[in-house]
Amino acid sequence: MIEAFHVGAVSRDRTLWDGLDMAFDDGEVCVVTGPAGCGKSLLLRVLRGERRPDAGDVVAGGVSLYRGVPEEAGAFRAASGVVPESFPSVAGRSVRDLFLLSETAGERVPAKERKERREELLSLMGMPGALDWKLSSLSVTERARVALAAELFRGPKYLFADMLIANAGCEWTDMLGGLFRALAREGKTVVLAERIFPERWKARGGEEGTAKGPFRLFRIAVPRESAA
Amino acid sequence: MSGFSLWWIDGKLLPGAFLREAAGRFFLLLLLGAYFAAMLLSGGMNRYLSERWAVTAVLRPSVTDVEGEGIAKKAAGLPGVRSAVYKDPEASWKEFLEAYPGLETLRTAGGTPLPGYVEIRMRPDRFAEADLRAMESVLAALPEVEKILSGGEILKGLLRVNLWVNALFRAGFGILAAVTFMLFFLQEKGRATALSGDFDFLRDRGIPSRRIALSRAAGAALAAGILSLAATAASVSVLFLLEARLPLLRRVIGSAGEILTLPFLVPLALFLLAAAAFSGGASLLGWRAAQSRRK
Repeated sequence: MIEAFHVGAVSRDRTLWDGLDMAFDDGEVCVVTGPAGCGKSLLLRVLRGERRPDAGDVVAGGVSLYRGVPEEAGAFRAASGVVPESFPSVAGRSVRDLFLLSETAGERVPAKERKERREELLSLMGMPGALDWKLSSLSVTERARVALAAELFRGPKYLFADMLIANAGCEWTDMLGGLFRALAREGKTVVLAERIFPERWKARGGEEGTAKGPFRLFRIAVPRESAA
Repeated sequence: MSGFSLWWIDGKLLPGAFLREAAGRFFLLLLLGAYFAAMLLSGGMNRYLSERWAVTAVLRPSVTDVEGEGIAKKAAGLPGVRSAVYKDPEASWKEFLEAYPGLETLRTAGGTPLPGYVEIRMRPDRFAEADLRAMESVLAALPEVEKILSGGEILKGLLRVNLWVNALFRAGFGILAAVTFMLFFLQEKGRATALSGDFDFLRDRGIPSRRIALSRAAGAALAAGILSLAATAASVSVLFLLEARLPLLRRVIGSAGEILTLPFLVPLALFLLAAAAFSGGASLLGWRAAQSRRK
């Protein structure tokens, strides 16, 4: 569980938000929406323990990310995946390298499983056989999907994605919705930052979400699989 | 987090550049290893001089062959002495005639006019004024020894030149080592800069910078250790090959076979360790330089 207590952020001498309380339970898919420039990416960074908030604290799994031991905050980040809004396309770097980095950052994936898992994830993202494609040759939507595949490769417990749905394109909204719900059923927490809530997704507690400072917080309904 | 995969992260992400750098490093370490092995064997100019230069202990005419052999044995046991050979008056006379033919008439009916002597050669690593003087003082105190011929002022001058030449050799090695270190550092800095985006990726996912830097340094040290072992083995093999074809090399440097003895293996092992340590240091410094450049 990730809990933000009275967090506030100041950027360029402007208070973006203050006194914000949020909680993201295990096995939950949440979407934080808000207009451009309201600090959605910053909120994700604060929730991941990457950027100290100007007020308040974030507690993940019972551990304070900013007032606790740095190693514990590092362990939380290691257990979480992040899909940035845009990632730099380093010249000469391929999709394979992205998977390699992801694997290096996470638990070691057995050699036998590696190839199979990579292919499976790339196929899921509609990019079978893309392993040796150069990152610089990928479109925005392909980059978003390949970045998600690389993060899922090491099976993070928490997943933070910034503008993933918007970048992946509307054709992928349903598939990604299904994927996130499946992850939630495995007990994983997914936090998305988007400008608008995806139309075809269903939120618990109404279509308006809950107002949280400049944001709206939506919690996706995750139907539990009934025991047959 | 996987332990050793970070050690080789550079090689996995930039295999081409990594291999090219490794080839360059091997060549530099080959030069350095050959220089070091040659210096170790030769001791600079010491080997050459100790081969050429002999100290002569001239014995009194009354000294018998048994006494002469005894003095040679005693001299051979002195610290720093490589060999001490007794030459009886007859052998001494033969050598004299070889050097100055036609002087046979100098020999009287009583026998050879020359006394016997002991020819002493120093070990290359002890061919220094203090060791020579110590050896001389022991022999000069013996009643059977008439005088010691060691070269006097000429030897003093020679030892001074030897000192300077050896210092030059060492300085040459130091410069080559410094250039090698600098090139390692530049390679590491360039690679750390090229991979900065990838390191950011890892940092964002909870791997501390310190861990990345130390793991890369450990990988660089291990790789350099292996490379320098291969390079030194190759350079010693070259010495073995050359020594069979160039006898002069053997006189100047010494027998390559000696490198396989303990007194030479220990400094060689230290050389390998130093190469590994310097390479690890270059990796850390290169990382630091690349990071500070980004700030």
